[in-house]
This record gives sequence, structure tokens and C-alpha cells, in this order.
Amino acid sequence: MSLLSILIFLPLFAGLIIVVLPSSVREGYKYVALAAVIIQVLISAYIYLHFNGNVFTGIADQNKYQLVERLPWISLNLGAMGKLQIDYFLGLDGLSMPFMLLTSVVMLVALLASWEIKINLKGYFALFLLLDTAILGVFSALDFFLFYIFYELMLMPLYFLIGIWGGVRREYAAIKFFLYTLFGSVFMLLVIIGLYFSVTDPATGYHTFNMLSMMDPKNYVEGSIFSALAHNELFGVSARLLGFIVLFIAFAIKVPIVPLHTWLPDAHVEAPTPVSIILAGILLKVGGYGILRVCVSIFPDAAIQSAWWLGLIGIVSIIYGALNALAQTDLKRLVAYSSISHMGFVLLGIASITPEGISGAMMQMISHGFLSSMLFFLVGIIYSRVHDREIPHFRGLALIMPKFSAFIMIAFFASLGLPGFSAFIAEAFSLIGAFNSESINGLLPRWMAVCGTLGILLSACYFLWTLQRMFFGETRLFGGEKWKIQLTDVNAREVTALCILTAFALVLGIMPSLAFDKMNASVLELIRLVNLK
Amino acid sequence: MNEFTSVLPELIKNITTGMPHFLPEIVLIITFIVVILTDLFYPGKKSVHTYILVLTGIVISAFFTILQYQSSVNGISVFNDTLKIDRIGIIFKLLFSAVVILYALFIKGNTRMQNHTKGIGDLYMLLPGALLGLNLMAMASSLLMVYLSIEMVSLVSYLMVGYVSDGEKQSEAAMKYALFGGVCSAIMLYGMSLLYAFTGTLSLSDPQFMIRLAEMPQSVAAIAIILVLVGIGFKLAFVPLHFWSPDVYEGAPIPVTAFLSTGPKMAGFAVLIRFMEPFHTASNTSQGTPVFDFVAILSVIAISSMIVGNFAAIWQNNMKRMLAYSSIGHTGLILMAIIVNSNDGIKAMLFYLMMYSIANMAAFMIAGKIEERTGIINISSYKGLGKVYPLEMVCFVIILMSLTGLPPLAGFMGKVLIFSAAIESYSASNSLWMLSLLIVAALTTVVSLFYYFKIPLNAFLRQSDEVFIVKVKRDALSYISLILTLLLILWGIMPGLLI
Repeated sequence: MSLLSILIFLPLFAGLIIVVLPSSVREGYKYVALAAVIIQVLISAYIYLHFNGNVFTGIADQNKYQLVERLPWISLNLGAMGKLQIDYFLGLDGLSMPFMLLTSVVMLVALLASWEIKINLKGYFALFLLLDTAILGVFSALDFFLFYIFYELMLMPLYFLIGIWGGVRREYAAIKFFLYTLFGSVFMLLVIIGLYFSVTDPATGYHTFNMLSMMDPKNYVEGSIFSALAHNELFGVSARLLGFIVLFIAFAIKVPIVPLHTWLPDAHVEAPTPVSIILAGILLKVGGYGILRVCVSIFPDAAIQSAWWLGLIGIVSIIYGALNALAQTDLKRLVAYSSISHMGFVLLGIASITPEGISGAMMQMISHGFLSSMLFFLVGIIYSRVHDREIPHFRGLALIMPKFSAFIMIAFFASLGLPGFSAFIAEAFSLIGAFNSESINGLLPRWMAVCGTLGILLSACYFLWTLQRMFFGETRLFGGEKWKIQLTDVNAREVTALCILTAFALVLGIMPSLAFDKMNASVLELIRLVNLK
Repeated sequence: MNEFTSVLPELIKNITTGMPHFLPEIVLIITFIVVILTDLFYPGKKSVHTYILVLTGIVISAFFTILQYQSSVNGISVFNDTLKIDRIGIIFKLLFSAVVILYALFIKGNTRMQNHTKGIGDLYMLLPGALLGLNLMAMASSLLMVYLSIEMVSLVSYLMVGYVSDGEKQSEAAMKYALFGGVCSAIMLYGMSLLYAFTGTLSLSDPQFMIRLAEMPQSVAAIAIILVLVGIGFKLAFVPLHFWSPDVYEGAPIPVTAFLSTGPKMAGFAVLIRFMEPFHTASNTSQGTPVFDFVAILSVIAISSMIVGNFAAIWQNNMKRMLAYSSIGHTGLILMAIIVNSNDGIKAMLFYLMMYSIANMAAFMIAGKIEERTGIINISSYKGLGKVYPLEMVCFVIILMSLTGLPPLAGFMGKVLIFSAAIESYSASNSLWMLSLLIVAALTTVVSLFYYFKIPLNAFLRQSDEVFIVKVKRDALSYISLILTLLLILWGIMPGLLI
């Protein structure tokens, strides 16, 4: 058992403990979960501190991954098809390590937000921890089959977490989310199997699900479906391009991109606060991470071929998300649309295939992970007190909730890209990448970067306007005096969670090198791999 | 009569040498007779003695089947090529034994059937007969044997479906099943007689069978083959011969439905493989045009089964009807593995069938238990049941996830194996049929999620309007379905334990 396996299966173990505990100790469940998540944060902090970003560049070389664990897992003799060999293969590089830390911290915050959950505690915490295991597994799996299993394993707990503890339209939101993602992933499975038959492990000569082998053109079987030399075509499209598109759509649904985003406002709005935090803070990043780890690394030729479209989708998401956010009257919906807009920068950065752009995209995912968690947490605070979050129903909240307002100002300003916070660095780097792309590799035209900048402007509009509408001026509430009493300021537990997130946003904004140093070498390695093609 | 005297000794010799290979079936025949006598004279309370005897007989027969496994690497033909004992057949036989044992346990746990005025002994009596028929289907290698074994299973099934005919619906189901089955087997018999007329042999393994058939005009041979496929299709319930299944599944007592959706269906696949075998050997050896294009016709059938089954299931509110349509969809998916026609395809199919039968049995057990305790038969009335039956409903959700094909469950591995076989076959042949099968299978997987998840949707996400005042007691069936669920998880994570 390596440290990584312990990290992944610790939550699952804690979840099983909760399942077998009798319901007489109902109040104890959350502390079991809390203990597990705190240990998880400590382990991932330890991993972060001991991670040497310059040595462990990862991407396509197993020796350059840290904490590698590779055990034969499923081995089926299939006669003519050879041997179905699936490894339990984990490892961390500069692309995945930051997400392990992000996941642990966001999970901690989400758990602190779970104190509001009052019904069916056993089921809730068990599913919560199962989800935790699945997410950590996705970020560390290097065998495509294992990756897929963890990837799908995330769906079921989320369905129930949204469906049982969610808002009024929870049934609709839960099944919509499930169907959207399953639609993407079923076709992903077909591509995975196709890749399996196209690639052999150089060491054993058998077909393999090893992602690292899939990144090396030398390992492709001559004439196989996804071999770059064979130029196979399916429906008149190059098979490799089609494979890239299918995988991209699967991950893009998660990101999400316009027009595959419609599940997100529903799911985010109907989910209970902790689940919204997880969805926005981590799950959207699974999409971005998947595009980098799988789409771009395994199909670099197709990635370059479609970079322009990726950039365009990014721009459309940025602008469309921001314009939609402007039009929302529900605070949670506003935050949900702002997520779509901010994740657009990730796509723009990736599409540029420049070191600045991809670093910016990584940074944007991490930064958005902290900031969107903070935003959803803050929305959750209001909602849990008065069960309303219509923007016009509140005015002058700054007078009755001064501490809360301070936090929301921090979150808003950080999200709109104020220098000194992580989002500024992230968006700046993504845009620099997009801007330089024309002169470096000619993939993205300059106007895309310009349009991206427009997105920052729009995000300032909707955040500042909301601030003005809800927090400034004389206190006038829809619920009158009753609400005034209910709207107490943030308590110690909430302050803890918010301070953690503020600290991360601020530290990464002032010292971005803390993140860049760890991932820079991996990003450069990825770009080298793409340019090799 | 005299003309036979010369061949008589050889015939007898053939029979006597075949006997040892027929041991599992002989055990079943003996069990069958003993069970009839016991149930007549010494049934015990609620025919408990009959029940125990049936189980013992089946276990002993399964034991002899396991013994056969080692010695039958290449397959042995016995009784003048009417039966063929090979590894695939033996795996099928073991699956049938497992299904019939689960079926017996299910009947035992179902109080409605236990308390029926008719008594339960006659139903137990049918089990060794059913298993015998299924085993023969798995081994049949001559057309006559195919027909006889299919009829044997059908007769037993007719009796079972009509066993507890309390109301109109049950009688209608039994009647419909018998009529539909009768017509289908008549059509099949007609097809067989045509084949016999064309080839002069009933044995599928006789080389003359293919040679003579190839000499016939293609359209004539095709008609005969399609007529035979009708009979097999009735057992498989693929589109367009699926009309009976939702009504019969709904009308039959729930343990019988569970049996019908697993045992005879699997046997149908076994027969289909046997029937297609000579055609494949012929197309592998000779260069000429194939006698019959199984790929095209089976692909059309598989695609329409997946589409019709899965989409029709969306609109079902009755639990049994929903499972009936979903099992039509599964038939389509499994047919895909047969179309691939390789060892991998067969292996994938066997794994999938095993997963499918376990999941279906367990699903019907839980549905049956809930029907019995609360009288609920509609999915929309499952509201709030998650709180009343937590263990059963959690198992139910896992079973349905396995049927959908979500990891890390056995259903997912089964799907992966079938997809792998199909993709491998596609990259070898570039056949457009394979590609469209794959795409339809992937799409209908998403569709199936929609209707399967109506159950957790109602059981867990919705609150019940009424308060259930039922005594929640876990009985043997709860634990059996729990064990089956755990098996689905175990085989999902460690499929290597099986293959």
C-alpha cells in the first residue's frame, strides 16, 4: 500500500465505518467523516511538500511519476484477443498533484458545510465519502480502465446526493446530470476499448490500457484503428480526430462548455450547498484535467488540428456564461453561470498549447476550485438562514451581516480577477497564452484573447452589480423583521471554512510560484509531447 | 424390420457408450420420478420433502456436470450425433442448474405460492423436468433434439405460467404463452422438415448438411433457416417475436417470471450457437458465398431488440413489464456477442449471461418480496420504500446499476467484454453492421439508465404520501438477494475469479 492508495481508500474505509455504525450514534457520523478528511488533507499536504516538480515531470514516462503504484489487477485470458491486462496503476505528476491537494481542501470545506444536513445522515456521509474516493482515484489513475471506473463511480453518489438532499427540482436535476455525463462516458468507453486494441505494452507485447503507452506513437499496432500512420477513417472523418472529439465531448460535458452546459445550472442550483461546492470546486476540474491528461496527451495531432475550435468554444463559454450570469436573479444561478464563464478560460488556455496558456489553465482550475467553493459556501449561508436567495429580496445586507459581507466582497473581487488574488494570475496567464499563440504556433488568432478580456469585464459587471444590489444601501428585506433576526452573521465553523479558502486564494495570488514551481516542468513536458506528434 | 437388424447392434452400442456421458441427465430423470412419487405419498408439510429432494437431485446432477468438464476439452458426440457435450454446453448446464436452484429457493420464499390451495408440490416436480429440458437444449446437436428439447422446456413453462391462475390476467398470460409458443414451434418444425428435405440429415454436425444446403438455391435455404430462427426467437424473445413476453411476465407468478427471463432465454442462446456452428465452420473453410448471411439478419434483430426493448421500457409503470422490456434489450446486446462469432464473443456472452441471470433473479426476488408485503406492483408506488426496506432497496439499486452497466459492477465488465469482442471484430472486418451495433448499444445504455433509475428515484428521492404500516422483516429471500448483489460487486472488481 503506497501513500496514494491510503489517500484514495481512506474515505471509502471511513464510509464503511459509518455504514456499520448503529443509528444511535447518528451525531457521530460527521466526526468520523471529518477525521477522515482531515487526515486526507494532512497526507496531501505532505505529498505536496515532498513533491519535486522539476524531477517528476510525468506525462508520458512512468519513471517521472511520483508515488507510482503498479499492480496487476484484472488479467483475463481471452484467447485470440490475447490477454486482457488491466493494472492498478497510480502515480502523480505536476498535472495531477495540485488537484489532489485541491480535492482534499475542498472536501474539507464541503464537509464543514455539511453541518447543515439534517436528514438521513448515514446515507449522506457514506455517499459523500464514496464520492471523495472516486474523485481522488480519477486524479491519480494512470490506467485508462481504472480511470474510467473511478470516473463513472463519481456519478452514482452525486445522483443521490443531489436527488435526496437537493432543492425543489432535485429529481430533474439529478437525472439530467446523470444522463448527460453517462452519454459522454459511454462513447468514451468505446474509444477506450478502441485504444486498447491499438496499443501494445512495449515490455510485454500485450494490448494495454496504460495511458502512458497510449501517448507514445511507437506503441501503436500497425494498421490499428487509432494508429497515426494507418489514417483510418470512420464516417469519412479521420479515426484519431473522431476519437479525440468523442473524448473531448465526454470531458467537455463535465467542464462544461456551451452548448453542453445546460445540466450545470440545474445541478448546481438544486444541489445542497456541500454538493454544489464539490461540483463547482472539483468536478468541473475533472473535465479540464481529463482534456489535458487524455485528449491532448493521447491525441496531440488531433488536438492541434482542432485547437482553433477549442479556443472558439472557450470564448463562447466565457461570453455566454457571463451574459447569462448578468441576467440571473437567483444568486446561486448567478454563481453557476459565472463558473461556466470562468471555465472558459481553462479551455482557451489549453487551446493555445503554449506554456503560459496551459499553466494559466491549470492555475485557473485551482483558483476557481477555491473561489467557486467559497462563493457557493457563501450562498449556502444565506440560504440556510432564510431559505431564499433571490437577489431582489435582499438589500443592505452589509449593515446586518458585516463579517459575511466582508467575505463576500473578498470572494467577488477575487473572482472578477483583482490583482493579488489567484484568479488574476490565472486569467492573465491564460490570456497571455492565447495572445502569444499566434506568434508561437499560430493556433489561435489574437481576437480570441481580446474576446477573453471582454469576459473579465463582464464578470466585473455582474459581481459588482450584485454587490451593489444585495449588500449596499439601506437594509430592506423581503421577509421583513423575521429575516433580520434569522440573518445572523457567520459563526466560527463558517469563518474557519471561509478563512481556509481566502488564504489559498490570496497566497496563490501573491506567490503563484507555490503552484507554478510544482507543475511547470510537467506543462513543458506536455507541450514537448504535443509538438513531437 | 429385417433391414434394420444389421445396424441394430451398432445403434445399441452407440447408446450404451453414450450413457456415461449422460449421467447428469439420468440423475435428473431419476429425481423427477422420485419426486413425483414422494409428492404423492409423502409430501411433508407444504411439500418440504419434495423441495429437499429436488434440490439434492439438482445439486448431484450439477456435481456430475462439473466432473464432465475436465474430460470434454474437444467435445464428445453421443447417441448418434444427437447430443454434443463440450465445454460451452457444460458451462451452460451449470448456469441452468444455478438458475433452477435459485428458482426453487425463490418459490420456497414466496408465501403467496406456498399458501396456494393447489399446493406447491407439483411446481417443485416440474423443476427437474425443466432443468432436463434446458440441459438438452444446451447439448442438442441434431434438429430433432433441438425441437424436442425446446418443446420440453416450453411445456414445462406453460404449466408454470398457468400454475396459479387466480385471475383473468394470469389465465390470459398462460393462454397467450401456450398459443404463441405452439405456433412458433410449429413454424420451427416446418423449417426443420424443409432442412431435412434439402439435406437428408438431421444432424447439424454431419458434413453433408452444409454441402447439400449449399447446393440449394439461396432463397430457399434462407426461408428454411428463418423458419427455424422463429422457434429459437420465441425462446429468446427478440424483436419481432417479443410480443408475448411483457404480457406473460406480467401475468405469471413472480418466481416463474424470474425463471422465464433467465433459464429458457439462456438456453435459447445455447441453441442458437449450436445451430449456427455448421454455418460458421463452412464459411471458414470454403471460399464461396455463405449459405446464409447470419450477420445481417441477426444485426437487424439485435439493433431492433435493443431499440424497442429499451425505449418501450421507458413507458412502463408495472415493474414486471419494465423488466420484461429491459430483458428484450439485453437480448439484443447479447446477440451482439453471438454475431461477433469468435471465442471471445462466446466468452463475453457467457459472462454477460451469468451476470444477467444473477441480476435478474435478484431483481425479481426483491420485487416479489415487495409485492408480497405491500401489494405494490407499480414503480410509481415505490415512493418512500427506501426508508421501509433499506437493505432490499439498496441491493435493488446496485442490481439495477449492474444491469445498466455501471462500474465497478459485473454488468459493466460484461459490457466491456462484449464491446471489446465487437470492436475487435470491427477492426478485423470493418463491417458497418458492427459499428452500428456498437453505437446503438452505447446509446441504449444511456436510455436504460433512465428507466432503471426510476426505481431509486421513487424509492429514495420521493416521499411517500401514505405511511407504510408493514412489518419489516428480513427473510431468507432478502439475504439471498444480498448475497447475489455482493457477487455482482465481487465479480465486477475481480472478474478474473470466473474466467
